[in-house]
Amino acid sequence: MTSDITDAINQYCARLRKALGKGSSHEADEIVLEVRSHILERIEAEETPTPEALAKILRAVGDPKELAAEYRTQTILHRASRSTSPWLMLRATLRWARKGTLGVIAFFTMVVGYGCTAVFFLSAMLKPFFPSRVGLWLAPEHTLSFGFWNGRLSATEIYGISVRPPVSFVLGTLSPTNGPVRELLGPWLIPVAILCGLLCLFATTFLVRSLIRRFGRQRRDLQFSHSASLA
Amino acid sequence: MAILATLMQGRRYGLEILRSLDGTASLALAEGTLYLILNRLKGDGLVESEWIDAGTGHPRKYYWLTQAGHERIRAMAKFWAKFSADLNALMDPARISMKENIRDDE
Repeated sequence: MTSDITDAINQYCARLRKALGKGSSHEADEIVLEVRSHILERIEAEETPTPEALAKILRAVGDPKELAAEYRTQTILHRASRSTSPWLMLRATLRWARKGTLGVIAFFTMVVGYGCTAVFFLSAMLKPFFPSRVGLWLAPEHTLSFGFWNGRLSATEIYGISVRPPVSFVLGTLSPTNGPVRELLGPWLIPVAILCGLLCLFATTFLVRSLIRRFGRQRRDLQFSHSASLA
Repeated sequence: MAILATLMQGRRYGLEILRSLDGTASLALAEGTLYLILNRLKGDGLVESEWIDAGTGHPRKYYWLTQAGHERIRAMAKFWAKFSADLNALMDPARISMKENIRDDE
């Protein structure tokens, strides 16, 4: 094997290692070693190991950046599937969302679920400081809102979660309506908000984690592509 | 599933697995991706691996199924058998119609 070919293999492996992530990771080092072994095996099987033959082999192995992106997605989804950390799961679903519709759905579910959790916990925290502004509000048109009321009877706005049977759901600001609004829970809001917040947190975490686990299995089972077209 | 099935036949290293899959065009796999999948299967405890100096000048990493891997592939095979049988039953009318068309053409 000529030094040109050896240099090209070293360069490819260095690019792959760099793309796989900074710092030392035993797993990433193992993958690079294995890919190197694979390339060497392939090039040694060639009757005449030329730079052109090597280029063809490297194309078949794949672009280091694409391989590394796939590795990072796998790694973060694997970690998220065994974690209860909302931050990790949010990062994992964000990365997954770039890969397809199911990822977008999971990410959206997570944002809405944790958004609702935040509204419940914030309401419980703010209630002692703004007792007449934070609550469960019955607004006109049978709209039920949980959150912070702007205190106006005309151009009423409520910041939080609003539902209007049968299908309307708003997370954020309920569009201006004309009062009156009526508070339903009083001091009971704090335990109710904490309970709802915990329920929302656990339900969202459980749901998204199951989606990630399911997706992880599907990806492995279906991760076949037409390598012939790359070769 | 195909990778696990390949390993049912015994210890194999990456290139051997790829060669087995290459024989079946629809299961062809991007070469670099194989190692990412094997790495994840190992993380899930479905396969185990070991570097072995095969006397080729560079070591090869051999993989084999763990007990959990054997159980997973058996479960997958069972599911696949039922799934393909159901699909074949659904496709029967289409196959019959295709045969009739061929007869008509002849």
